[in-house]
Amino acid sequence: MIPFGNTKYSGIIPYLTILPALLFYVTFYLGPSLATVVFSFTNITGVSGMPWKFIGLDNYERFFRSGSATEIWECFNRTIIFSLSVVLIQNTIALFLSVQLNKKMKGHLFYRALIFMPVILGVTVVGYMWKLVLNPIDGPAQQLLSLFQTRSNFLGSINLAFPLVISIQIWMAMGYSLVIYLSGLQTIPEELYEAGHIDGANNFQIFRNITIPLLAPAITVNVLLAIIGSLQVFDTMFVLTNGFFKTKTLSLLMFQEAFRGSQRQGYASAIAVLLFILVLFFVLVFQFYLRKREDNL
Amino acid sequence: MSIRKDELSTVSIYLILGLFLFLYTFPLLYLVNVSFKTTAEFALNPVSPAGNFFDFHNFTTALKRGNLIRYSVNTIFYAVASAILTLFVCVLAAFPISRRHVRGSVLLFNIFLASLFLPNGLIPQFRLMVYLGLYNTSHGYILLKVSTGVVFFILTSYIKSIPIELDEAAGIDGCGYMQYIIRILIPLMKPALASGFILHIVGIWNDIIGGVLYFSNRNLFPAVRGLFSFYGQYGNDWPPLSAAIIIIALPLILLYVLFQKYIIEGAVSGAFKG
Repeated sequence: MIPFGNTKYSGIIPYLTILPALLFYVTFYLGPSLATVVFSFTNITGVSGMPWKFIGLDNYERFFRSGSATEIWECFNRTIIFSLSVVLIQNTIALFLSVQLNKKMKGHLFYRALIFMPVILGVTVVGYMWKLVLNPIDGPAQQLLSLFQTRSNFLGSINLAFPLVISIQIWMAMGYSLVIYLSGLQTIPEELYEAGHIDGANNFQIFRNITIPLLAPAITVNVLLAIIGSLQVFDTMFVLTNGFFKTKTLSLLMFQEAFRGSQRQGYASAIAVLLFILVLFFVLVFQFYLRKREDNL
Repeated sequence: MSIRKDELSTVSIYLILGLFLFLYTFPLLYLVNVSFKTTAEFALNPVSPAGNFFDFHNFTTALKRGNLIRYSVNTIFYAVASAILTLFVCVLAAFPISRRHVRGSVLLFNIFLASLFLPNGLIPQFRLMVYLGLYNTSHGYILLKVSTGVVFFILTSYIKSIPIELDEAAGIDGCGYMQYIIRILIPLMKPALASGFILHIVGIWNDIIGGVLYFSNRNLFPAVRGLFSFYGQYGNDWPPLSAAIIIIALPLILLYVLFQKYIIEGAVSGAFKG
C-alpha cells in the first residue's frame, strides 16, 4: 500500500506524478509510432497542401509486386545480410574479448574503456574518422593496399562499400556488447572455474559448459539489442555513403522516401511497418531457439 | 626447444588483442595527426607525422569557418535542458511504477518498454512537430527529445534497490508523496541520475538524424549537424576538417574520461532492464 498520507486524495497523487512522462511518451513516441501504421494505408506525402486519401494495401502491394530484380529487393536482402552479420560478428568478437579481459590482465580497464569509446563518440564523428582513414587519395588504408600492388575506392567502391559499412557499424557498437558481457561474466563465481579445472576440463570445455550457460542472460540481451538495432539503424549509412555504392538498407530507404525527393510518406510508412514485422519475426525466431535450447538442457 | 600448446594459444590471444588495440587506437591517433598538418603536408603524404604539433592553425580555421562554438553551445543547451526535463518526468513516473502504487503498474512499464520494438514513428513525429509549430525551434527540439526510454529503465531498476522500509518510515513521520520524492529519493538516487543525465547528453550530442530533420535555420544547428554541413562544404580539405571533428568530439571525450564509470554502469543497467 502507499505509505504516504491517508486523506481522501492521497491515492490520486501517484497517478498524477506518472502523467507528465506518459504525456511526453504518448505524444512524441507511442502516438507517432501507431500513426505510422495508419499512414501506411494512405497516399500521404510530405508536400504541404496535397490532398490525401486511404488507399488500402496499395503501398504494401507496391512493395511486394516490385519483383526480385529491383532496388527494393536489393535493399531487403541487404538489410538481412547487414543484420545477420552485425548480430553474429559483433557478438562473437565481443564474447571472445570479454572472456579475455575478464582474466584481469594488466590494462584490462583501459582496454574496455578504449573499445567502448566509439559508442560515446557517436556516428558522425566515427563516420568521418573512418572516411579519413579510408580516404582513397593516399590515405593509410590505400597505402597499406599499395604494399600488395592493389588499390580501392573503399567507401566509393561497389564491391567494398557495403562490407566496410558493416565493419564500421560493428567497430562502433562493439563496446556496448562488450560491457554487457563483462558485467555478465562478473556474476559467475570464481569457484566454478576452479572446480572445472580440478575436474580436468580444458579451456574450451570450461567456456562451453560453464561460461556460456551462465552468461545466457547477457547473451539474450545482446542478441536482442543487436537484432533490433541493426535492422533499424540508418544513420551509419547516412553519414558514410548516403546509400550509394549499394549500401542502402530498408531503414535508409524509408528515410529517403519520406523526406527526400517526392516525399512519399505513406509508402515510407509501409516500409517502417514492414521493418517492424521483420524485427518481430527475428526476435520471435530467436526466442523460439532459446526455448528449444532450454528444453534440451 | 619446443613450444607448449597453451603457450602458443596465449601468444595468439595476445596477438588478437593487439590487433584490436591497433584497430581502436589508430583512427583516433591518425585523426589527431592530420589535424596538426598543413594542407601542403597532407597533400604530399597524408600518413607522415605532422611537422609541428603545437601549431593550432587548423583549429582556428575550423572555428572561424565552421561556426563550431555556436553549434556546440546550441547542443549543450538542447542536451542539458532536455536531460533535466527527462530526469524530472522519469523520476516522477519511475517511483510509483516500480513501487506499484498505481493500478496497472506492470502494464505501464511494458508500454514504456514497447518503445524499443514498435514501428519507427519518425514520419508522424515530423508532421506533428510541423503541425504544432515546433519545427525549426529550439524548444520544440528539446520537448521532442524528452525521452522515457533508457533513462526511465535505469531509474526504475535503481529504485527497486532502495528498501521499501524507508518509504514506510518516512510515511510514518508524516512525509508527503512529492516531498518524499524530492527530499529523500532524489538525493539517494544520485548515481542513477548521473548515469541517466550523461547518457541522455551523449544521445542528444550524437543525434545526427534529428539535427538534419528538425532544423533548417543555421543559427540553431546542433554540433553534429554543424559538422555535417562543414563536411559538405570542405569535404576535401581534411586538415581543418579533422580539427573540426576533434572540436565537436572533445566535450564528449571529456565527459567520458570524467564519468566513465557512470556511463558504462548506466548503459549496462539500462540494457538489462530493456
